[in-house]
Amino acid sequence: MRKVSITGGKGGTGKSTVAVNLAILLSRDRDVVLGDLDVEAPNDHILLGVELENESPVHVMMPFIDYERCTKCGACGRVCDTGAIMAPVGKPPFVFPRLCSGCRACFFACPEKAILEGRRILGSTYSTPVPHGGGFRLVTGMLREGEEHSSPVVLAARKRADEEARDLLLVDTAAGTGNNVSIAITGSDLILAVTEPTPLGAHDLSMILELTGEMGLETWVVLNKAGIGSEDLIRSVAEEHGSRIVERIPYSREVVNSYISSRPIALGDSRALAPYRRIAELLGGVV
Amino acid sequence: MAREIAVASGKGGVGKSTVSSTLLLVLHRAGWKVVGVDADADAPNLHLIFGMEKWELERDFEEGFIASIVRERCTECGVCAEVCPFDAVEVVGGMHVINPMVCEGCATCILACPEKAILRRRTVRGRLRWGRTKYGFPLAGARLNPGRPNSGRLVEEVKVMSRRLGGDDAVYIVDSAAGIGCQVISSLAGANAAVLVAEPTPSSFSDLKRVHTVAMGFGLPSALIVNKWDLNPAMAEEIEEYGKRENMHILGRIPYDPAVPKSMSIMVPLIEAFPDSPASKALKEISEEFLEEIMGNWDEWRFKHAPRRIPQYRPIIIKPEGLGGP
Repeated sequence: MRKVSITGGKGGTGKSTVAVNLAILLSRDRDVVLGDLDVEAPNDHILLGVELENESPVHVMMPFIDYERCTKCGACGRVCDTGAIMAPVGKPPFVFPRLCSGCRACFFACPEKAILEGRRILGSTYSTPVPHGGGFRLVTGMLREGEEHSSPVVLAARKRADEEARDLLLVDTAAGTGNNVSIAITGSDLILAVTEPTPLGAHDLSMILELTGEMGLETWVVLNKAGIGSEDLIRSVAEEHGSRIVERIPYSREVVNSYISSRPIALGDSRALAPYRRIAELLGGVV
Repeated sequence: MAREIAVASGKGGVGKSTVSSTLLLVLHRAGWKVVGVDADADAPNLHLIFGMEKWELERDFEEGFIASIVRERCTECGVCAEVCPFDAVEVVGGMHVINPMVCEGCATCILACPEKAILRRRTVRGRLRWGRTKYGFPLAGARLNPGRPNSGRLVEEVKVMSRRLGGDDAVYIVDSAAGIGCQVISSLAGANAAVLVAEPTPSSFSDLKRVHTVAMGFGLPSALIVNKWDLNPAMAEEIEEYGKRENMHILGRIPYDPAVPKSMSIMVPLIEAFPDSPASKALKEISEEFLEEIMGNWDEWRFKHAPRRIPQYRPIIIKPEGLGGP
């Protein structure tokens, strides 16, 4: 199985547009799974015009105290990094669910095995058949509104996508350069960094190239919305990090309209599709 | 009293920083004491819009840990890989190693390791910084180190820093990150009002509802701006209808305008760079209304546009089997 991740740093540069169109194009002769790992704002299903299916909850551990076994030693409170367990020595410990990250450190620290493992649901993953192109599967992660800790949902969605993928996995990540992105792109054979020709795009591109560089992942730059600003900055940032611009996608009203109407341009045969086709071919050559 | 206004959108790239920078500049020129707060630590851009070249102060922000395995003690038993909640333990060439780009630094593997072969060290999560824009007002922000966990605490630190700069009588415009996770929650927590920005696309509308739900959870009165409205007038209308139903103040619409990316390219705020462009005119009108109706009428406005319902956030918790009682 080969994995290509689509990321970019800045939000709104066109990651999802590139991801869904590549998934459609490549699914015509490959067995494709598309993973939407932007769990705080997952939109690939909206772009593809499909309803999410096959929901499965994502949970992390939530400690419960067995007060009959608890000797009030305070060990659980000492190892809790997030302050979710208040456990003064000699007093029964108390758990604040909102602060708990579900790491299970307290479970291992308790010498009396008095920490029982409950669960807390942070969000869901979905697996949805998409009829477009040659047909493919969309795996989506979605954080519950109000939950803060998104990385376990990213991880669960990545695992589900990994399990379902046989031949080619495309991953669409969140904006940014934090661990929501690094967890999503772990294990990739290739990264596509989608950016736009503005100093903001260039700044965030340099952050994402720093990340993929540290992770040792080969990264190609896709310059989207070409024509709205100067490309020199993007070129020099790419070169500085040992990467290069593999394709320019001109700003196109047609693409914007396809975005609005939930009908990806890869379903038609427009001229605006040419750069996506070239990327698909390039990818076909290496993965 | 300080006034803290969070600008959020859920979806990235819909115009948060453009709106934030305009509000800052207009409020500043109208005589308000303002501080810009860039709360998007893993893609911080507000300073670029103002063409800021240097920071007055930069310092490391230490938070959390990264674990690592002591080779000599490790017996490659694999317990760490089994217990790691983040799948950060990888096997490379038959050896267990912890991927520092994934490790969140909890003590779980350290406690589970039968050989006591795992240590953790404190890490620098990012850089905190502040500087002065050429317009005279300060801007505080942070830059997350690549691959580090997104940090609500980093955002809180930025807010603390900004308070030192502005004190109790300033207006704080908080340019929040994309998404609805910890960074955004920390941006909204403690704010007095939210300005939500959307573009008329199904994705942005969906993300707007998600971030609005979170904002309502904090009881925040909200104003709504639809950016690039002319890309899809029907959906712009639909989004505004949603806003009205939810008791938001509909501040206005901004048309799609190539002058916006152009102004970014020269790193000058749009209303300065191209004051007569269509988006600039719309933003100025929006800012006028913001000044008059919101800033000029603060308490009444907040009362009038308080959310009609406050969704009580409840974590879904499943009790372990065999545990009696509540």
